[in-house]
Amino acid sequence: MRIGVFICHCGSNIAGTVDCTKVAEIAKKFPDVVYTAEPMYTCAEPGQTAMEDAIHEYRLDGVVVASCSPRMHEATFRRTVERAGLNRYMFEMANIREHVSWIGKEKDANTNKAAELVEIAVAKLRNNRPLTAKTFDVTKKVLIAGGGVAGIQSALDCADGGVPVILVERESTIGGKMAKLDKTFPTVDCSACILGPKMVDVAQHPNITLHAYSEIEDVSGYVGNFSVKIRKLATYVDWEKCTGCGVCSEKCPSKKTPDAFNEFTGTTTAVSISFPQAIPKKAVINARHCRQLTKGKCGVCAKFCPTGAIDYAMQDSIVTEEVGCIIAATGYDLMDWTVYREYGGGAYPDVITSLQYERLLSSSGPTGGHLIRPSDGGEPQNVVFVQCVGSRDKSIGRPQCSAFCCMYTAKQAVLTKEHLPESQSYVFYMDIRAPGKMYDEFTRRAMEEYGVEYIRGRVSAIYPDGLGQYVVMGSDTLLGEPVEIKADLVVLAVGIEAARGTRALAEKLRISYDKSGFFMESHVKLKPVETNTAGVFLAGVCQGAKDIPASVAQGSAAAAKVMALFARDKLENNPQIAFVDLRRCVGCGKCIRCCPFGAIKEKDIRGETKAQVIETVCQGCGLCTSTCPQGAAQLSHATDNQILAEVNALCR
Amino acid sequence: MNYAYYPGCSTQGASTDYEKSTRAVCAALGMNLVELPEWNCCGSTPAHAVDTELSAALCVRNLDIAARQESETLLTPCPSCLSNLKHAAKRMQNPEARARVNELLDNPAASEFPAVTSVMQGMAAHLDAKEIASRTRKSLSALTFAPYYGCLMSRPAEIMKFGDPENPTLMESLLTACSATVLDFPLKTACCGASYGIPERSMTARLSARILQLATDMKVDAIVVACPLCQMNLDLRQPQAEKAADTRFAMPVLYFTQALGLAFGFSPDTLGLEKLRVSADSLLRKLGTGAANAAGSR
Amino acid sequence: MPVMEGKELRIVGFLCNWCSYGSADTAGVARAWQPTDLRIIRVPCSGRVDPLFIVKSLLNGADGVLVAGCHPRDCHYSAGNFYARRRLEVLKRFLPVLGINDARFEYTWISASEGQRWQQMVTSFTNRIHALGPAPRFENATPLPKVVGMALPPSSRPLGTGKNAPLDDLKQGIKEKLPDLECVIGWQRGYDGVHTAPLFMKIPEDVEKLVWGPFNVANPAVYLPKFKGKKVGIVVKGCDSRSVVELLQEHLVAREDVTIFALPCQGTLDMSRVKEKLGRYTVVDNVVCDETEVIITVDGKKHRLPMNDFAQVKCRLCTKPMAVFADTPLGESPEVEIATHVPPELALLDAMNLDERMAYWSGQITRCLRCYACRNACPMCVCRDYCVSDSRDPRWMTQEADVTQKLFFQAIHALHLAGRCTGCGECQRACPVGIPILALRQQIARTVEELFDDYRAGFDPAAVPPLLSYEVEEKSIREREWK
Repeated sequence: MRIGVFICHCGSNIAGTVDCTKVAEIAKKFPDVVYTAEPMYTCAEPGQTAMEDAIHEYRLDGVVVASCSPRMHEATFRRTVERAGLNRYMFEMANIREHVSWIGKEKDANTNKAAELVEIAVAKLRNNRPLTAKTFDVTKKVLIAGGGVAGIQSALDCADGGVPVILVERESTIGGKMAKLDKTFPTVDCSACILGPKMVDVAQHPNITLHAYSEIEDVSGYVGNFSVKIRKLATYVDWEKCTGCGVCSEKCPSKKTPDAFNEFTGTTTAVSISFPQAIPKKAVINARHCRQLTKGKCGVCAKFCPTGAIDYAMQDSIVTEEVGCIIAATGYDLMDWTVYREYGGGAYPDVITSLQYERLLSSSGPTGGHLIRPSDGGEPQNVVFVQCVGSRDKSIGRPQCSAFCCMYTAKQAVLTKEHLPESQSYVFYMDIRAPGKMYDEFTRRAMEEYGVEYIRGRVSAIYPDGLGQYVVMGSDTLLGEPVEIKADLVVLAVGIEAARGTRALAEKLRISYDKSGFFMESHVKLKPVETNTAGVFLAGVCQGAKDIPASVAQGSAAAAKVMALFARDKLENNPQIAFVDLRRCVGCGKCIRCCPFGAIKEKDIRGETKAQVIETVCQGCGLCTSTCPQGAAQLSHATDNQILAEVNALCR
Repeated sequence: MNYAYYPGCSTQGASTDYEKSTRAVCAALGMNLVELPEWNCCGSTPAHAVDTELSAALCVRNLDIAARQESETLLTPCPSCLSNLKHAAKRMQNPEARARVNELLDNPAASEFPAVTSVMQGMAAHLDAKEIASRTRKSLSALTFAPYYGCLMSRPAEIMKFGDPENPTLMESLLTACSATVLDFPLKTACCGASYGIPERSMTARLSARILQLATDMKVDAIVVACPLCQMNLDLRQPQAEKAADTRFAMPVLYFTQALGLAFGFSPDTLGLEKLRVSADSLLRKLGTGAANAAGSR
Repeated sequence: MPVMEGKELRIVGFLCNWCSYGSADTAGVARAWQPTDLRIIRVPCSGRVDPLFIVKSLLNGADGVLVAGCHPRDCHYSAGNFYARRRLEVLKRFLPVLGINDARFEYTWISASEGQRWQQMVTSFTNRIHALGPAPRFENATPLPKVVGMALPPSSRPLGTGKNAPLDDLKQGIKEKLPDLECVIGWQRGYDGVHTAPLFMKIPEDVEKLVWGPFNVANPAVYLPKFKGKKVGIVVKGCDSRSVVELLQEHLVAREDVTIFALPCQGTLDMSRVKEKLGRYTVVDNVVCDETEVIITVDGKKHRLPMNDFAQVKCRLCTKPMAVFADTPLGESPEVEIATHVPPELALLDAMNLDERMAYWSGQITRCLRCYACRNACPMCVCRDYCVSDSRDPRWMTQEADVTQKLFFQAIHALHLAGRCTGCGECQRACPVGIPILALRQQIARTVEELFDDYRAGFDPAAVPPLLSYEVEEKSIREREWK
């Protein structure tokens, strides 16, 4: 080999505490090193040009740059050597800035260390092999899991960009949590009025295929070529025939069916359409409450359905979709707040969740927007809002902030005053977190214009006073004394958690999730939409608590990621992946058991079982390499021989 | 069946009625209470507030006596004693703490102590609700009670092991076995003001008043308690609470053993009912068990 | 390059690219001063760090090795560090048996933002290594001249010669199945009456050659993988059956392809001691098996060998005289007293300090011929012709015949067997120069048992081998939050 070594001065950043000239002199004696140089700034344009010239002039076939961290400039220099005609992997870096000049005080020791790091790099480079990426076709279709506002936004953006979309929603309608809200902060405009048109667009868009009342059964494949099995749950109504007229629901005798859409604040019928603006506007039979399905006699809906859509014998069915990318937008659920025994643990009818309160405020809710107490139907006079129920509370293992409760609590307090001008609202809060645009102004208006009384402190107990009201006991930490408020209605701003089933979906998608169950992004700051599995992106609250504008923004961001990926007709894999030397492989399958990505499969080669790496799935961790006893599985660019060369350079 | 029994200081003075009724009811249930010989005060609030090791040593001496008695269970009626005994037993699991406590004692304590539990739990473990019901001679169906456990009995949950710390229901099961109506009393584990009755009387008056007010609003015939100090605050100090709330409660406050005793047909005298500051006569009238016709009872 | 004399020691760091390498960068950017001894080798993931890199470093002159990866749950590759944690913990508990101080090796978790923590780790680890001083090297150790004899542990059950085993029934059973099988592996009389040789029965006449008794020392499972994909039968002792179970677990043979014939085993002879007893001889005149002893007449001289004194140590500690499972089991398994005796090879090392162990191995391993008989006798050495010991790519070893290379091979073998070795002892039995190498495998088996819920290889073909799996919260591994 003919190796060139470039010892960067980085101005005085390196040269200040490392004798670069001496390092270069020592490096000259390393095997295969034919050229050394000491550029002032290797990464600057003159430095890169000089490197290209040297590669040509000295016919170098490998380059070592001793400078900053490879995390900083490895990509830069790989491009440089590539411009000069070398394979980008015939390049190594020695980190003599972050790991030497910036942390060691003695010049002698630093110089010696720098020279050794160069020696390691040269040793490794001598074992490097040119690597080339492979290309493969892309199925330019995206699957979006979850039809809340984030998923809807992703779907519409992708569809508008010409990408066919498969939208999968678990409930019978899209719209997610936003569809349940009455109004939105900080503008107090009608949630259904701004979301409704988007939902209709989803229904009408020629590029969107909607699978409502469906769940993701299985995911296989890899970026560009996923295969997703979708379980379409039995609705017992043939949606091809259903016109959404609602006759079935009108006639259904089972009128005490719990109404999940209304957060169980009211009842519905066993066959129903969850709300008037539902998309798709199709009826679903609740099998647990349908008299025909539970007792075998009724059949009223089938009798009255004008199109004969009712099908009591319907079973779940599976459809398979081939897609190139997947966006997870599965949202959130409220945590089980009944662990707060001191708030009655769910036993008091007038202590309700904020989402239930939204339904009570909503004109499409069970009370038609008439604000009443669930217990007796009376109008509440004093309404107490309790924030951070299940948020920022280590004692129940939920240290995280739910991010949007401060704002909707202010909104709900404002709406309370608008519904019932005589009422008085109180808000127990820990801190008011209102960092968004127009947010702080909004909470101030709640206090100043709507007379909402904000009390800084937590609530220690809620109990009925025996006379029809509730006593809310808490502390006012600003006054430094306990407070007690008599309430007619208590609204708990219940903390959020990842939607049920999130962990199972994460396993199917092979993406990580955090302690609270939210999906892990690839980088907390710089890659908030990507995951560590190529081709899987995140949108909305499934990645972490965020409000509607942030969810919509992330929905669009995920769509942009998908379209950027689909802008290419072929994808290239990262060649730093594992490969199996078939001669050495005995087919013991240890690598298959360990691979965190399921990237190795068994393959029958001339009657023998061998391991084979699925190049597009392998992420390059090298676990298989350290697992394989016979050294058959090797990770390109970090092979046993490459690491052994480094070890041998240091220890002999 | 024999049970080691630690009465605690209160039963020797302020709450002799608790002691009398406890012994009567236990006897009726077939529980033989064997009082610890030469027991001493558990140290109550002052000891553990000043020196946890001294407090532990005081309790461990009693536990040690119980251990030598070879009883499986040590019962105590008072939640404060119970708390101290249980905390001491827990503390002794730490070898360093054990060594320091042993230094304070004449002789090193036994390596294992009998399980300490409340008289209430002891009764429930001894007989099930059906058997308790079978022993009632006088149905309490005419009476409505507010059960009140106080703050100590169920907390801290991992030490006291008294069920849901916010919502214990053991007393309810005993009283309903005697056909009484027992309401879901939201303040059942609230604080009555405890020993602040002495240094800060107004606070105790305010806290007790809240409990009494809720019971009054819920229209119960009596509050039923399991703690001598709670009983004292709610009963003896009821005038102070009334003054604080500017109202009149006239709310009888019984020990659960007294309520059970009435169901088992004991006379008011046997149960020490005359010791109540707020008379329980209204209850007795409802039951038809006036002092006058006590002749028919035990 | 040599280390800076008197100033620095040789410390090697393996850092994962995503978290720990980043933390070292973060420390640099923050100008967090550190000792200069450590040299970082960047790897994609802590899961990429083969424990053998660490052994290699330590045998070849590293004074300390530090591995750092992402915090558990934060692995860029989801689970790489979980596997690393198990493997590195096993390694940490293995090093002392070689005579290497385990304080010279450490692993820890550092995220990319924890520059300060990186600085602390480097500083404290470097200080620790300086406190320990330069690592002693095997090639400089004074070989331990004489090794005291190993005490025999009490036997777990009565030992015998298997004289009354239903051999004829077994033969009948084999004959019945033989038409469906490629061959059945067993033992036959060897070149004289006190040796057996492997027998591959293909026709009924072959079956008559089958022998059963105290000379059936070899483990026939070693031949099994060669028949992968073919229908094959095998006659096993209890211990041999554990090797079969492991091969099944690793899919190296398929259950439906193997027919297992088993008899209860009463123990086999320790041939090295038999040889010692018989001395040099020319002719074996007669071999008679009594219930509990073997009477061998060589060159006209009669020797009585009670099984109780001449059985292999593994037979004395045996908990499984009968096969784990078999298609045609014959006979009753004897009662076994389950006692956990440390095998004598390991007990000997347990009683030594680190320096003595290093001297011991230095003395023992010098005799190694690099003949690889140990490897060839091992039923779990399935790499066969692709063993890394004589491969150029990957090139783990050189062909030099020095102490470190020889010992390194033993470490490779032992670590490759981690969680897989059933302790059949064939490696040690096969060693022509009698190096007690089984102790290294025993130490790892003991470690695996301690760390992973008493896991022992070779009992359950469906078990997940502990080093090929992980728990998010490990019960027995203390996260090394050292300072």
